[in-house]
Amino acid sequence: MGLLAGLLCAPGQFLLHCPPFMPPAIHPVDLLQVLRHQRLTPAIVFLTSRRACDEAIASFEHRRNPIPPTRSAAITDVLDHMMTAYPSIAGHPLIPTVQQYGVAAHHAGHLPSWKIAVEELMRQGCLDAVFATTTLAAGVDFPARTVVMTQSSVRKDRNVMELTVNEIQQLAGRGGRRGKDYVGFVVVTPSPYIDLGPIANGLTNHPEPIDSQFVVSYPMVLNLLKAHAIDHIQPILEKSFAQFQLNERADTYETKLDDVDMQLETYGRRECADWIAQWQSFSLARKRRSHHRRNTQHDPPEISAQLAFLTPGRAIELSRNQAIILRQYRSRGQGAPMLTVVRSGGHVIEYPASAVTAVIDEVIEVTEARRFPWCTPQSLDHAIETLERFPARLRRLPIRVDQDGADNPILTETLRDEFPCPTCPSRPACQKDHPQALKLRQEEHRLTKTIHAMRTELWHRFQQHVEVLQKFGYLTPACQLTAEGDWARLIRINHSLLITELIRMGAFEGITASLLAGVLASIAHDDDRPASFPGRHPALTSTLGQVRKVAHSLSAYEEPPLLRWDVAAIADRWIAESTLPWNELIRSTTMAEGDVYRLLARTLEYLSQVHGLKATHPGLAGIARDAMDLMRRDVLQELP
Amino acid sequence: MTNDALAQHLSGLSVRLLHRLAKNRLVRHFRMGKTRLIQSLLNLPPEQRAEIETTLTSLLSEPPRPSKPDKQGKSKPQPDAPRHPAPTSRQHQVPTEPAINTQALLEGIGVPQPQPFKPDDWQQDAIDRLATNDVILSVPTGSGKTYVAIEAMRRAIEAERTVIYTSPLKALSNTKLTEFSQLFGADQVGILTGDRRDNPQAPILIMTTEILRNLLYDAASGEIDVRMDTLGLIILDESQFLADAERGVVWEETIIFAPAQSRLLLLSASIGNPEEVAAWISSIRSTSCHLIHHRNRSVPLRAAYLDPSGKLAPFFRTRDIAHGKGFVLHPETKRLFANYEDRTLGPRYKR
Repeated sequence: MGLLAGLLCAPGQFLLHCPPFMPPAIHPVDLLQVLRHQRLTPAIVFLTSRRACDEAIASFEHRRNPIPPTRSAAITDVLDHMMTAYPSIAGHPLIPTVQQYGVAAHHAGHLPSWKIAVEELMRQGCLDAVFATTTLAAGVDFPARTVVMTQSSVRKDRNVMELTVNEIQQLAGRGGRRGKDYVGFVVVTPSPYIDLGPIANGLTNHPEPIDSQFVVSYPMVLNLLKAHAIDHIQPILEKSFAQFQLNERADTYETKLDDVDMQLETYGRRECADWIAQWQSFSLARKRRSHHRRNTQHDPPEISAQLAFLTPGRAIELSRNQAIILRQYRSRGQGAPMLTVVRSGGHVIEYPASAVTAVIDEVIEVTEARRFPWCTPQSLDHAIETLERFPARLRRLPIRVDQDGADNPILTETLRDEFPCPTCPSRPACQKDHPQALKLRQEEHRLTKTIHAMRTELWHRFQQHVEVLQKFGYLTPACQLTAEGDWARLIRINHSLLITELIRMGAFEGITASLLAGVLASIAHDDDRPASFPGRHPALTSTLGQVRKVAHSLSAYEEPPLLRWDVAAIADRWIAESTLPWNELIRSTTMAEGDVYRLLARTLEYLSQVHGLKATHPGLAGIARDAMDLMRRDVLQELP
Repeated sequence: MTNDALAQHLSGLSVRLLHRLAKNRLVRHFRMGKTRLIQSLLNLPPEQRAEIETTLTSLLSEPPRPSKPDKQGKSKPQPDAPRHPAPTSRQHQVPTEPAINTQALLEGIGVPQPQPFKPDDWQQDAIDRLATNDVILSVPTGSGKTYVAIEAMRRAIEAERTVIYTSPLKALSNTKLTEFSQLFGADQVGILTGDRRDNPQAPILIMTTEILRNLLYDAASGEIDVRMDTLGLIILDESQFLADAERGVVWEETIIFAPAQSRLLLLSASIGNPEEVAAWISSIRSTSCHLIHHRNRSVPLRAAYLDPSGKLAPFFRTRDIAHGKGFVLHPETKRLFANYEDRTLGPRYKR
């Protein structure tokens, strides 16, 4: 069914949803065979996922070509030696494979002790290949002759990101051991996640520049204000790499700004100090004013020049005949100038003023009336008679058309008392330069604003944090630490505001060591990959419910943690059952061993921060101490 | 050649070839039929006719090959058009299997004789500079940053100063603890973690950068926890973490609050703007920061492409990886990868 569905869907989806149809890569066993044959071992093979690493190792068991017994013995020797320091290596399920085939997996799902063992084996030259993930390139701190790359992109959180030049060079840099190799190799082999371009680019190109990731945090504010007065903070913030880089960017903006200022200066001095703003407000006012006189505004200049002559009694020429005007009016809709005329033959007709082809130098007596035909019957008769008597050609009135007469009345009359512009001598220059100058002026404002923001950004962020801390009572209005702030500054971890608020509201009073560890574990854990842990723990769930409410109320000031009860339960159980063996704990969850280790190690760190409050909160610090002591056993005791 | 003989030869040729012969010699030859073409070719002036005769003889001696590459094939499809492109393309495909020189690619693999260790100039320079300056080392992975760190530590201990060595990961701290313990003796190296202090009075202290940041904050607020006044050297390993989205700020804080009298040694993988970082540190510290930056690997690195079929090919045209000069993939690698994509994605899904 699934196969059928896969075949029926579109090609793109087809490739995405049907892993069995993924293009194949070289089989790990074949890969190693080629590498051995070409004397390219030992090699580090970077694969896309932990699962791919584990499967690669498992695939060796199906093909039986073990390494010589002497080498197996050497591996066993090294492993035995490591086991005395790190007992948790003993009984690791991968040991037989490592011994028989000389290959190992190395990724974050393993315990640190196992990773140390693999690194040691690699350093001693016992292994032919290590299959590792790309995610912890910095954590893979052992060289090999060859690095095998099978991907050009990695999964980061939920996105697939292309590897950066820095990352590719970090990976490739593991190839070639100083003093043990004449030459190192990067072997690229195709897989579904590969494109050759980015890899070739990453191998040859210059690495990307790094950028500051400075963030202001609550513990930073408290600790800075503990040691320094608020007046001295800004110079300290200015010492950051963030400010250094912001200043560099601001400097380039400064040169741009200078450029704009230079261009603005070329306009020279005008009558008023700020002619751009002056002209801007003047032209705005003019626009607004002329809006009220919309009816007259749109007349073309030749018509508005004629209008003064088109009075009742005036003789005019239309396209084909002559006529005498009876009235002038404006149409209701468009406000266009209209005429009512009497044509030869006695027809009274409406015409737009634009239909007038010429104005005749002849005016007759017409007595106007309020209604059609807009004059007395006598004058109408007189007009018709006159029209009959007109010769074919009459003297036309020459009409001078003033080109900028249209806005002259507004310019000279209406706004004269409010603005100096209409009569200003630099008016033509202003009118001409204004659009360009306004653009420059806006650019100038924008640049000034940006530069100011860059210079003061960090300080603003600091002040925002100060305000929040004042609101919660960690700082006095004079920015000095209150008694609360004095201990809160010792909590220097993520979600510090949530933890200090929980302590202040007494959420941890009378809490058991295991429950405290559980809550802190759920605050510390920021991975949303699924990890099931069967069985609910009522006390833990109810405590976490309260913590969640507090976290939600603080969400405006601090990103709330995931607060997963299933990871909390792991820490809780590890402490509550002090005889529980590590393997038992791992079997109860789907989380990888290495992830559980990291979770508990982080919880230990959080607990130690709470333990640091022993001067002010002896009770809570004592519980934290107990939790730490209980937690540090078995695997967690092996490494400092 | 007589008129008749030439006419006979010409009538034996295809119209297409006749057109080719007529090109640039006859006007509007493309409008002519075969008979008229032959007529007009025969009527050409003697020097052009001689040219035609020589071309014709060469055509007759090796019939399938065109005298010169031509674009005639692009014109209207003619009955015998495919005859010529087909053999040529086939002929071109035979030598496409270029002689890949995997020998050259793989030569020189082996283990060099153990040689007495002699530090590179830049390593010695870095160690000397550390007496008076802060130093940033931005060099490729595996070219010997640790040697500089160890020598600097040795000198600091001789001067009875303490050294703090920070790494971004606890796992790396542990590796370094073992490494330094073997070099200096277990009593000379201590490690600090959030909840545990092993041998905190030792002259060399290993910790994560977060722990050092916390120590510096404590020192700033007057609760001196560690011997800051005797602190002579702070080594920040993997300093490119400065650009880490979550933790980068810790590196900044550490560098800002590092005591003035102690020297800073930043060990970093290759980054794009080490000059900028050095300029920053110079601008905030009492002494200037010396940058050592190069891209020469102590062991040269070559790149190869491995096809799923097991065939190995050079990745680039050049054998060694050239930096900052662009790249040209080896044609064999291109071909193999194109085949891989064809095979796996199928021609229809090819990008």
